[in-house]
Amino acid sequence: MAFERFTGDARAAVAAAREQARTSGRHAVESEHLLLALAARPEFGLDASRLADAFAHEEERSLAAIGLAAGEFESGAGGRARREPRFATSSKLALQRAVAIAAKRGDRRLTAGHVLLGVLAAEHGRVPRALQLAEVDVDELRARI
Amino acid sequence: MIAAPPTLPDDPADALAAVGALRRLADRVEDAAVERAIADGWSWADVAEALGVTRQAVHKKHARRLHRAGIARGGR
Repeated sequence: MAFERFTGDARAAVAAAREQARTSGRHAVESEHLLLALAARPEFGLDASRLADAFAHEEERSLAAIGLAAGEFESGAGGRARREPRFATSSKLALQRAVAIAAKRGDRRLTAGHVLLGVLAAEHGRVPRALQLAEVDVDELRARI
Repeated sequence: MIAAPPTLPDDPADALAAVGALRRLADRVEDAAVERAIADGWSWADVAEALGVTRQAVHKKHARRLHRAGIARGGR
């Protein structure tokens, strides 16, 4: 990923997403970590803790759909977070979409808003499912960015 | 009375989401199970054999966090 054209805000959001992945014990940065990192910023009017609950709820519902309960498997040593978690396909795709959206708009710099638009561009997967559970009006949010 | 066994959700979006959720759950179970085994004195080679993976694979995935937590000590 070429980060040269990213503004300070966009870089900070990507760094915060890595931190999100690390603290939740994941070994890769997913698009959900980008969304949670962006939701923690005041300018988008998102409720980060409500979204975090929605991601947990999404997981419970998805497991329940195949007859499983989430269970309690917390490990005392924490998850297998790396010092530098890699970017999973979902987060790479979100960043590629952010770059494409900025290019299409003729914007020279890539902002945190472009990153959010890239994350919101996903039609399938955990991000749109959690946004729906959190009752976020994605069209309205997109129009505001 | 025995509950009906779970079947694939009708909606492909729900079925695919279940796959992702199951993978994350499997990771959490693996993290907790490897931690328990190492804490109980199992060697990395024994854990690897039980999981059906190479010792290098299990060591690479779990050694750092277990060493950091003081659960695994030196050696392999």
